[in-house]
Amino acid sequence: MAPADKTSALVQGTLDMLILKTLALEPMHGYGIGMRLEQISKGAFQVNAGSLFPAFRRLERDGLIKAEWRDTENNRRAKYYALTAAGRRRLTEATREWEAQTAAITRIMRATLGEA
Amino acid sequence: MRRVARRVLAGLRTLLRRDHVEHDLDAELRAYLDAAIERHMHAGSSREAAMRAARIEIGSATAVKQQVHEAGWEARVEDVWQDARYAIRTLRNAPGFTLVALLTLALAIGANTAIFSIVNGLMLRALPVAAPEQLVLVSSERAIAGDYAAGWTVPVWEQIAKRSSSLGRAAAWSVFSERLDLASEGEADPVDGLFVSGNFFQELGVMPVLGRAFTADEDRLGRAESRVAVISYGLWQRRFGGDGDVVGRSILVHRVPVTIVGVAPPAFLGPEVGRAFDIALPIGSAPLILNDDQWGTPAGRSYVAVVLRLAPGQSAASAMSVMRSQQRQIIEAAMPPKSIWGENQDSQLKDAFVLVPAAAGTSELRRQYSRAVVTVLVIASLVLLIACANIANLLMARGAVRRRELSLRLALGAPRYRLIQQLFVESVLLAAAGAILGLLVAVWASDLLVAQMSTWFDRVTLDISLDWRVVSFTVLMTMATALLFGLSPAFGASRVTPVTDLKDMAPSLHGRSRRISARGGLVATQVALSLLLVVTAGLFIRTFDRLVAVPLGFDSERVLVVEINASRAPSAAGARTALYQQLASSVAELPGVEHAGVSINTPANHGVTLVTGYTVRGETERMRNERDWDTIVNYVTPGWFRAYGLSVRAGRLIEAHDTRQAPLVAVANEAFARAFFSGRQAVGGTIVDVMGPPGRARESRTIVGVVGNVVEQSLRQDAFPSVYLPMSQWTMPFPEPDQVSLSIRAKSGSPILLTRAVAAQLLTIDRRLSFTFRPLQDQIDAARHQERLIAWLSTFFGVLALLLAAVGLFGIASSTVVRRQTEIGIRMALGAQGRDVITLALRQTALATVAGLVIGLAAAVSLTRYLQAMLFGITPLDPITFIAAPAVLALVAVVACVMPARRATSIDPMAALRCE
Repeated sequence: MAPADKTSALVQGTLDMLILKTLALEPMHGYGIGMRLEQISKGAFQVNAGSLFPAFRRLERDGLIKAEWRDTENNRRAKYYALTAAGRRRLTEATREWEAQTAAITRIMRATLGEA
Repeated sequence: MRRVARRVLAGLRTLLRRDHVEHDLDAELRAYLDAAIERHMHAGSSREAAMRAARIEIGSATAVKQQVHEAGWEARVEDVWQDARYAIRTLRNAPGFTLVALLTLALAIGANTAIFSIVNGLMLRALPVAAPEQLVLVSSERAIAGDYAAGWTVPVWEQIAKRSSSLGRAAAWSVFSERLDLASEGEADPVDGLFVSGNFFQELGVMPVLGRAFTADEDRLGRAESRVAVISYGLWQRRFGGDGDVVGRSILVHRVPVTIVGVAPPAFLGPEVGRAFDIALPIGSAPLILNDDQWGTPAGRSYVAVVLRLAPGQSAASAMSVMRSQQRQIIEAAMPPKSIWGENQDSQLKDAFVLVPAAAGTSELRRQYSRAVVTVLVIASLVLLIACANIANLLMARGAVRRRELSLRLALGAPRYRLIQQLFVESVLLAAAGAILGLLVAVWASDLLVAQMSTWFDRVTLDISLDWRVVSFTVLMTMATALLFGLSPAFGASRVTPVTDLKDMAPSLHGRSRRISARGGLVATQVALSLLLVVTAGLFIRTFDRLVAVPLGFDSERVLVVEINASRAPSAAGARTALYQQLASSVAELPGVEHAGVSINTPANHGVTLVTGYTVRGETERMRNERDWDTIVNYVTPGWFRAYGLSVRAGRLIEAHDTRQAPLVAVANEAFARAFFSGRQAVGGTIVDVMGPPGRARESRTIVGVVGNVVEQSLRQDAFPSVYLPMSQWTMPFPEPDQVSLSIRAKSGSPILLTRAVAAQLLTIDRRLSFTFRPLQDQIDAARHQERLIAWLSTFFGVLALLLAAVGLFGIASSTVVRRQTEIGIRMALGAQGRDVITLALRQTALATVAGLVIGLAAAVSLTRYLQAMLFGITPLDPITFIAAPAVLALVAVVACVMPARRATSIDPMAALRCE
């Protein structure tokens, strides 16, 4: 199956949040982040470069992540992104919001006739 | 907030270090690709397979870079910058259009800016003093109602100044600016003088650039210390060459030695907008300079304007109530119970003080000109509208030509909004370039206009330099202009359909009806606005024409007026009249002089006239208003009537034998005879002066002659009742004036040739006289000056509007012919004649023109009533104007269409058919 078919339409804000979460564990370079997202979502999300890179720029501009050129394991140079303190705060907020939203939607979807 | 700042900074960094950022992104993408290849190789693919898979995964690197680029705001800016450069190239490739558009815009925007800067200088700008918003002028209810500048006598001013602890700090200056003579002898060297209170400069916060201002000591009436002066910066440069040691120098003012103590700063032209002062002297020096020891006393007729500075936070209303509460004490202390003018304390007390904001100074010029200037501004903005319509039309025509280019861009994937943005940026650039050129035009034009506003007695000086108001006006107008002419064509032109437009090389058989009617609508608007402007110009031209046609009542050819100031000559009782008689008779003897006479007033003059009231002896006091007794009084020597070519209608003129000892006589004008003696014979009647001071016997005179009406002051007013009294029979309760006019009629040729002889003769009689020469024609021109200026300006704009309309009509007619030439060719091949062809080609244009004329006429009919106050001798719906204007426009339209029509009939059917 071609990667394009498997990429669900991810809202911009959601992608940002996912990237922040990925970086919460450890700093990573761009391809690594894309791979991690694919791994953890068990193949549900395959984000391509065209969405990742603009997201990186946005997040960097807003001061939520910072970038640094480093050597990879294979002695290549790659640009590594890491969370900033502001990014960490934002992630906490976003997680809370997301959980509240999801809970509310779940409640609505599960509501049967007779429930309030 | 911080996020915004961070984004802005990051965007700027990207813009400025473009290459660095691009390299970084390239490197990051390469690293990404490498990581992808690694991953695939790990999973077992060969290197080539891995590379292929990785490339597919990434997709187009360029596309990725583009996506990243779009994520930042600087992408928009770069787009606009790119559009701007493209626009410049496009405009350069269409030099004809660009030139025409730039020229039109420069003229229209320039004219608007010029006139607005005059509006600004005249009406909006604050005086260059400290805290102008705290200044209030002391006026009175009567002055406000009569719309004239309130003046207070010096004693009243002194009372106000004394009460500064309760009323606030005040300063004063002479209401009428004096022409002060700096010459040492003979012909006068007049400059504009101002008498000011000792604290004038300090109160207004105007610090001299050299020397100092006056002290309180120097402002005591009649004291020798008051003979000091502060000269204006302009006078310092002009007369003294900016010489550093001018302070302390002594100059003669009206033959009185005065010491210069300071030089005013260049920005300060005086408290009155429109009039610049050359020299300021303390009020205390006036009696010495003007040689009038009554000046400044309750009996004298000297008036000053008084301004108060409000305390910070104090309102004008509260200051006014304080002043009104002290009005009684002030008036009682300052005025005698009854003055000779019949004005008394009661009438002054009834006329309550009013405080008027004076941030923009006082101005007679403003009163005179504000309506006219605003009208011209409206006219100029209408011309700008027409210019915008013109350019919009031209842009639409070009839009049709650029269809292919725009379709190509659309087909290549540009979003529609980029097309619109591109076209709009073009318009903005055009407007901006036009505005910059226009500013240059404006600077030149406003100088010219202000110079045109001056007349012989009114040297107009306005500060018309560009300040924030003028600049923001220009910027706003430019943006509005760009929007007006740019937006619609941009939207219209972008409405292309790539498929059909790319295929379609030749003009099609069927025109696009929507675009055509838009252009037709524009042309109709242009025609309508032009008609409105031509009607306006016509009305003003007719007004001026009517004004010129007003019979002056006297013969102005070959007349020279000499203003004589005899203040230094002896003034014993009766000596002055004897002097004036002598001047008149001796000058009359000079070769080349036909007649000469001395008088207090001259015709068509703005001078201050004597007015008194008469009734007729022998009739009961009729039930008339006091106003009906008002009569202008002029004292003249016998030769005066003949100097003006006035002949007697009944009875006789004033003769040499009407001396002091002879019975008191008067010569009346026809208006007087009609008003006071309606139906009866005026000659032989007796009139009684009712305005004399109380306690004096009322003087009566016999009328010995009647002369025709003469224009006294304004050409617009009907003739006013006047009487002429012999100079030798001066009976006013105050001394004869020290300034009179000697009117000389030359035998032949220009009267200017006589100046030297007359000057010599005057000096022979008394060396202490000072005088100024002036051809009478100057006075008459001054009386029509404003109307002439407006007529000229509105004609200029009317012609401009006509030209623009003609260009617009020509444009649309031409493009119609070009667009439909195939159709025309076919019809000609099928046998259509010349006339049919023309009809076909020009029908649209004709319809648009007629529609425009109708709308324009309707607009003119409903709008010209606002000009009523400025017209003279015609109604706002003057038939001649309303017939001539549409005729002129129709003619212009026909002329504009001649060439396109010729082109249409000379189309070769074969060539046209081959094109399709």
